[in-house]
Amino acid sequence: MSRTKLYTAIYVVLFVLATAQAVVEQAGYLEESYWLAFWAIMVLSAVKAVVVAGWYQHLRWEPRSLTTLMLLGLLGAVALTVAASYSIL
Amino acid sequence: MTDDEHETTADPTGDEPAVSDGGTASDGGSIVDDDFPADGVPDTPHGDDHGLPPTHSIRRWFVTTNHKDIGLLYTVTALFFLIFGGLLALLMRLELWAPGADFLAAGSYNQAVSAHGLIMVFWFLSPLAFGFANYVVPLQIGAKDLAFPRLNALSYWLYLFSGILMGISFFQGSTFNGGWTMYAPLNMPVYTPDIGGTTTVLALILFVASATVGSVNFLTTMHRMRAEGMTLRRMPIFTWSILLTVWMMLFAFAALLAALMLLSSDRLIGTAYFAESSPGGAMLWAHLFWFFGHPEVYIVFFPALGAMAEIFQTFTGRRLVGRKWFIGAMLLVAIQSFVVWMHHMFLTSINLEIKTLFMATTIGISLPFDLMVFSLIYTMLKGKIRFKTPFLFGFGALVLFILGGITGVFLGAVVLDYTLRGTYWVVAHFHYVMVGGVTGLVGGLYYWFPKMTGRMYDETLGKVHFGMYFVGFNLLYFPMFLAWETPRRVFEYAPALTGWHQLSTVGAFLLGSSFLVMFYNLFKSAFVGEQVEGQPWDFASTAEWTVPSPPPLENFPGVPTYASGRLEFEDGGSAQTDGGAVHGKAAALPGSEVTETEHGGGESHASIWPFVLGAGAFLVLLGLSGLQRGYFPEGTMGGVHIGTAIVGGVLAFGSLVAMTREKFHGPEGPFGESWPFTTVENTKLGLWIFLASDVILFGAFIGAYVFSRVAHGWTDWHHLIPEAHVVLPGLINTYLLLTSSFAVVIAMEFAKRENRLGVVGSLVATVGLGVGFLINKGIEWQHLFHIHTEAFPAGWDPGTNIASTTFYVTTGLHALHVIVGLVIAGYMIFRAWGGAYMGDDEPIEYFGLYWHFVDIVWLFLFPLFYIV
Amino acid sequence: MHGGLLLQVAGQLEPDGNRAELFGTIFEVFLVLGTAVGVVVIGYMLYNAYRYRDDGTAPAEETEDIGRPTLGELPEGGGHGRKLLLSFTLSAIIVISLILWTYWALLYVEAGAAQPAEPEMEDGTTVDVTGYQFGWQFEYPNGNTTDGTMYVPEGERVRIVVTSSDVMHNFGIPAFKTKTDAIPGQTTSTWFGPVEDGEYTIKCYELCGAGHSYMTGTVEVIDAEEYERMFVEPMNSTNASDGGTERVDPATAAGGSSAPSVGLPADGGVATRLPARTAATEGVLRA
Ligand code: HEM
Ligand SMILES: [Cu+2]
Ligand SMILES: [Cu+2]
Repeated sequence: MSRTKLYTAIYVVLFVLATAQAVVEQAGYLEESYWLAFWAIMVLSAVKAVVVAGWYQHLRWEPRSLTTLMLLGLLGAVALTVAASYSIL
Repeated sequence: MTDDEHETTADPTGDEPAVSDGGTASDGGSIVDDDFPADGVPDTPHGDDHGLPPTHSIRRWFVTTNHKDIGLLYTVTALFFLIFGGLLALLMRLELWAPGADFLAAGSYNQAVSAHGLIMVFWFLSPLAFGFANYVVPLQIGAKDLAFPRLNALSYWLYLFSGILMGISFFQGSTFNGGWTMYAPLNMPVYTPDIGGTTTVLALILFVASATVGSVNFLTTMHRMRAEGMTLRRMPIFTWSILLTVWMMLFAFAALLAALMLLSSDRLIGTAYFAESSPGGAMLWAHLFWFFGHPEVYIVFFPALGAMAEIFQTFTGRRLVGRKWFIGAMLLVAIQSFVVWMHHMFLTSINLEIKTLFMATTIGISLPFDLMVFSLIYTMLKGKIRFKTPFLFGFGALVLFILGGITGVFLGAVVLDYTLRGTYWVVAHFHYVMVGGVTGLVGGLYYWFPKMTGRMYDETLGKVHFGMYFVGFNLLYFPMFLAWETPRRVFEYAPALTGWHQLSTVGAFLLGSSFLVMFYNLFKSAFVGEQVEGQPWDFASTAEWTVPSPPPLENFPGVPTYASGRLEFEDGGSAQTDGGAVHGKAAALPGSEVTETEHGGGESHASIWPFVLGAGAFLVLLGLSGLQRGYFPEGTMGGVHIGTAIVGGVLAFGSLVAMTREKFHGPEGPFGESWPFTTVENTKLGLWIFLASDVILFGAFIGAYVFSRVAHGWTDWHHLIPEAHVVLPGLINTYLLLTSSFAVVIAMEFAKRENRLGVVGSLVATVGLGVGFLINKGIEWQHLFHIHTEAFPAGWDPGTNIASTTFYVTTGLHALHVIVGLVIAGYMIFRAWGGAYMGDDEPIEYFGLYWHFVDIVWLFLFPLFYIV
Repeated sequence: MHGGLLLQVAGQLEPDGNRAELFGTIFEVFLVLGTAVGVVVIGYMLYNAYRYRDDGTAPAEETEDIGRPTLGELPEGGGHGRKLLLSFTLSAIIVISLILWTYWALLYVEAGAAQPAEPEMEDGTTVDVTGYQFGWQFEYPNGNTTDGTMYVPEGERVRIVVTSSDVMHNFGIPAFKTKTDAIPGQTTSTWFGPVEDGEYTIKCYELCGAGHSYMTGTVEVIDAEEYERMFVEPMNSTNASDGGTERVDPATAAGGSSAPSVGLPADGGVATRLPARTAATEGVLRA
């Protein structure tokens, strides 16, 4: 039963974080200081992603090699995006 | 991809017995060829109770899922594409006999150039290597087959059908004629309007699908299914080269898939990713293409390197010098290959800082190759070198590769590249390296020919082939260095260079005809060549030579193990000698392959569905090729296209369902070595690996968005978006998806507690929420399509501007993932209703992995496309 | 820009600032060293292949105890590790120093291509180049444009800023060893010269469609003063022309009475043109 409770608690957290993202926008923080608000919103997304991957996908309880595998993919995608965007700045 | 083959689920304990816990293995079967019947042909009597027809039956080749059969199919098909691509090359060389378009028309020349490049790189070189990989790798690591045999057959059929689609494109006006690099915006339908151009792009997508399925399969197999004692570090060098190749393929091909999907969207729906009106369009393509393209040059080269290393070891009778360093160097190259792509873009508008960085990484990546070259050379010292055909080709390949590498250093010096770029210097360089690689693989073909056919090729003809090949090669490509001032992909060149080009053409025909000798030799020898036993070469050491030629369906006479430091076969029966730990294990797990081998094995080897699925996918894409700007052509042609697509869709869907329902047994554990995924069961690992490639796919889509936005000016972006595009629909959809993820987790809990209604109920909730997500999106899209504002009088549709393009296509790809998930979930509701999954939550867990992944992607799409 | 100091040193090393010579020097050094390395390495390979050929001695008779690979063993490495690392280090040093040595030249070339901080610092002229299927259009400092032929002043450096109005092209002048991509929506810049009197060919180095092979142009070097008058001084009736189609070589134009034929965009803005295709490519496109 405790598992189910844990999952429910996580669900609530995710729900709140998503709402928080919208609130940041509604409160006009993006107009005030765009990049600060931008990173705040992205960090919120990252936190949600880590929570879903760690608990709902059980990566926490799997061998680290699986996490490494996914991070490798992520690293490749980020390298591509950052280097390509930087190249034309 | 998600839950088919879950019948192969193995590893019931979830935790494999530790290998060789103390007890040294038995003396069971030391390996000498005469342990085996010399006539070990695959269709041994007990072979046909797998439903697999004998080799001389045509039917066998349509249903087989055995890795050795698939290896042969790959090899033969790849050689066919060699002829195809080679004929195109000869046409080009004829055209270049003298300056001017006197033989081919300009448009035809461009078709030949483009198709030649695409066919050689995609449909010949990689698949040839994959043929060997299929045949040899399971033998070398001690596996009975690949982890997912039907997916392996599917890889092959997708490959073949993609090639056929490529061939068809020639008859749809014109095949793609903008070069194999397919630079934007020449790849847009405004500039290359023929339907054949679209078909080529779709054919490539099908090829990438094949490569991705193949990579997932190989990675799972090689990581999970090695014989006891065969740790990663001790894997034979060819197997190592393949392991790294498939890792690179997994990530690189996902990036290519992204590029091709964006391009298809531009060509089929009329979006604007690569249109010249998108400020970064041309650069976006170049980045995506070369992010794939540079790893690709190693993807095609590594297997050749691995084959060369095996050949050197066998024919010099020496072990590879600095083996550890060699492997380390390959590993380094594989990683670095993802951070050098911009050296193909030195003349574009990238800035000096990034040029400097990529110059540095490019030098960095050339150094490990030095080490590998020296390692091969030193392997000859104190050797006992026999100049058999495989060695001649291996040795020749090394010479060619050295020349290619030296001329590559010229290109790595950016100032020189500024001038050499776009000329025949580059053409000569990459042919020396890539066709150098082909040379190594031809060596591999002669090397493994006796293993694959059980017969020896004719040595004299082999040497004749090498002589003609090597002379022809250098006659063909060396003059290109001398005539380097010729621009690439032209037929008009300075008359002073005519002599060099004519030499080159002569060389091309010599090279081409050398292959006639090879085909004659191999074809004849396959039927009447001298019969060989397991090991025709002295000093060969890897496991494929310990079994008969060709090996029996089950590969090994028992469970292979290296626990004692040498290959031995546990015969699993009662005839144990010293009762080692391994025997204990085998006996403790009745029904494992150990006992079954005796009776011909428990694995299935036949299924028709991969073929049908391949055909279905082929028809779908053939039908879709007619689509332009979202519409099929008017009249009968349009009807034919739509009909083809529908028939294909039905076939594909039907065969997927049939595949899930079919009783099919892949190889089951326990396996010897599975590091670093010991506790991750095969299907689950396959799914995770697939998801890793999906990360790159979505990453590249999001990257395309970020890049386009940066090119446009990040904060000016909102001018491209109507006011009506608000946060709310996105937020609602975030809630819906999060809730549906939660529902899947709950379904899993219910399955654990064997509550049937609970499982059905939560799965229904999942589907309901997913459908709600799609409906909400649909309403939002409809609204945006039809807005009338001052800025967007004609609505905001996918083709309106780059912002609408990125929005609809990226979230559209995500929606497609949702739909696939819903179909699977629907099927699972149906099964759950019938009482499946009670106490067996694995299928639900695996579905959940996929569904949560789709959820995670949305967590990033939401802020990027709705908030910031 | 970074590496300012290096740049100064480079400037001194640089013979007379000509890119073609720069390329020639570096290319030659690479060629000599590359050939040397190739000959040594391949020679060594051939020598060893011959020396250690199988001469028929049975393994048992071999003088030294050489472990040969045996069937079914776990793969291992052979000896000679020291030798391997030594030759690797050596080759790495050669490659790295070669490339580093060329880096100053890269900085030098890049500095010439960069936009001068202030217009007065410019020593030469800047021409805007636009590629199109299948030709080149040039716009000069005073807004004059020409098509197909690029006029440049003798003895001066020319900076070019290149873009495309349709697909990707690559603008190259082989004689000057200069080359840069023409990308729609982007600009790239590079430079060449100072150049001597004469006529040179422009070629396209990026596949751009059916007419790619024919996509050539001409560089005509004209007297610097003539260039100044035609293409730098503000336009008036004597140096502006209304886009006649005939091409007149300014050098041969009698007494300068006739100006080089140049096209002036009707609206005075940047010419966005759909050029008439030459007869040659017209035929090609149909083929
Ligand atoms: C050994 C060190 C190597 C170096 C330093 C090197 C360097 C380069 C550079 C800088 C380019 C870009 C040239 C240009 O487009 O201007 C290039 C092109 C190319 N290289 Fe290499 N390379 C090396 C090895 C390889 C290998 C192993 C392969 C393939 C197996 C390969 C295949 C290619 C191909 C296909 C192209 C041309 C792509 C195109 O534009 O169509 N190279 N190389
Ligand atoms: Cu590259
Ligand atoms: Cu061109």
